[in-house]
Amino acid sequence: MNANETPAVEISERSFYDRYESLILGTTFIVLVLVIWQLVPSVFTLSKGMKLFFATPTMVVGALGDLIESGKIWPAVQFSATAFGVGLGLSIIVALPAGVILGRSQLINDMVDPFITSINATPRLVFLPLILIWFGIGMWSVIVVVFIGAVFPLLINTYEGVKNADKLLINVVKSYGATEWEINKLVVLPNSMPFIIAGLRLAIGRAVLGVVVAEFFGGSSKGIGVIMVRASGTFQVDVVFAGLIMFMAISLVLTGIVRAIEARFSRWRPQETKNY
Amino acid sequence: MAVQYIEAKNVNLTFTPPNRMPVTALQGFDVAVGEGEFVSIVGPSGCGKSTFLNVLLGLIKPNSGEMAINGNPVSGPGRDRAMVFQEFGLLPWRTVLDNIGLAPELRGVGKRQRRALCQSFIDMVGLSGFEAHYPHELSGGMKQRVGIARALVSDPDVLLMDEPFAALDAQTRDIMQAELLRIWQEAKKTVLFVTHQIEEAVYLSDRVIVMTKRPGRTKTIIDIPLKRPRDYEMRVTPEFNELKLRIWNELKDEIDTQGGPQL
Repeated sequence: MNANETPAVEISERSFYDRYESLILGTTFIVLVLVIWQLVPSVFTLSKGMKLFFATPTMVVGALGDLIESGKIWPAVQFSATAFGVGLGLSIIVALPAGVILGRSQLINDMVDPFITSINATPRLVFLPLILIWFGIGMWSVIVVVFIGAVFPLLINTYEGVKNADKLLINVVKSYGATEWEINKLVVLPNSMPFIIAGLRLAIGRAVLGVVVAEFFGGSSKGIGVIMVRASGTFQVDVVFAGLIMFMAISLVLTGIVRAIEARFSRWRPQETKNY
Repeated sequence: MAVQYIEAKNVNLTFTPPNRMPVTALQGFDVAVGEGEFVSIVGPSGCGKSTFLNVLLGLIKPNSGEMAINGNPVSGPGRDRAMVFQEFGLLPWRTVLDNIGLAPELRGVGKRQRRALCQSFIDMVGLSGFEAHYPHELSGGMKQRVGIARALVSDPDVLLMDEPFAALDAQTRDIMQAELLRIWQEAKKTVLFVTHQIEEAVYLSDRVIVMTKRPGRTKTIIDIPLKRPRDYEMRVTPEFNELKLRIWNELKDEIDTQGGPQL
């Protein structure tokens, strides 16, 4: 007989509600908020000014539908997504190797640490005027804003992870004649994965923020952010909400992707939940 | 005297921890081990016995001294040596098979050949059926079986063992000691074994080196003339206990009793 007895309660015996309790509660609450929001104008009498600035969920969905149907949204989505993707991609390409080098070499770390600390401590928006002068209004300015936002959390987390890499495991692979490159590949990077993924999560947040900030503050003449600013200027609250939902949806999808990456890299980890 | 297989002469090592005074870990330390011999080093905590294994492994550079294995001077890690670590040192993101295959992988051996190479050692240490398990799914004893197999796969001339069973519970340790003797006889390796357990040293070894407290030097070398193969019953014979007592008498003066009872 196997030492691991099957749990006393069979999975199939649990009711549908028990199994999906958190999902059901979460969804119900969102629906409830939306319904209340939708009912506000019909329950309360809104003043003329308020009416102008108010949009119900159906109006927002309508505005989103119009934007998609008319095709106006796609160049904006493409622009914002490209700026996001290129900026984040560049920051990953720069931050991972740089973080490993900084974590492994005290000398280089001592040299560049003041530089990294001071830039990281500065709000990234401060660089926007300079970036606009150097890169002009357009895609590259947005990319650079995304890059400087995303590169530091990823760099600092990678560095921390690498510095905390298990010395014993490094000694093990060293004793079998591993080169510095092999040490990094076999021990340092896998060992730092939780740190790197936490950094990636932060970097994605900063990158989305970078797109929004750059597009809001005149970094480009295209993009979802630009559509939102223009709609706001003409009091099209439903369109502003539509843009907001786009950003929300993008952020949700990206969070999902990070989770998938995390799951891929933690298959070897002990399961958090155990059978008691 | 025959040519020694492992030979270390006058090894000195001083290291300076950050913001501390320099510490002399080893001072004029000598070791000589014959081919196929099983030699243990016992000594008080902090005497530098584990440090010496790391020096011999090539991970720490001594300040001075000469070391050679089978006549080849030691200067950095090499294929002729492999270590079994106290805390196992398994890569937690690799399966048993991939942990054991580490050394051949670093030598560039292909995946299929590696598998074939590892399998006989997996069988030897009794881990058949656990090839695809991750370290966290194994017991302490099984983890160290992986550690031993990983060291043997690299086909070293010398097996260095740094308190390999110290992290195991008492019964598992007894079993692993018997297993190690079986594997040693099968694999025919020269073993240098560091432990703080006198009984373990007597049970396993041909000779036991007793070290002084820090800075570590050889205090005395005690021959263990017990016949092989050895079994558990041997541990309760008067002969065995006399050897234990002899080592204990050498060792007790070296143990720092500050704050504790006088022996």
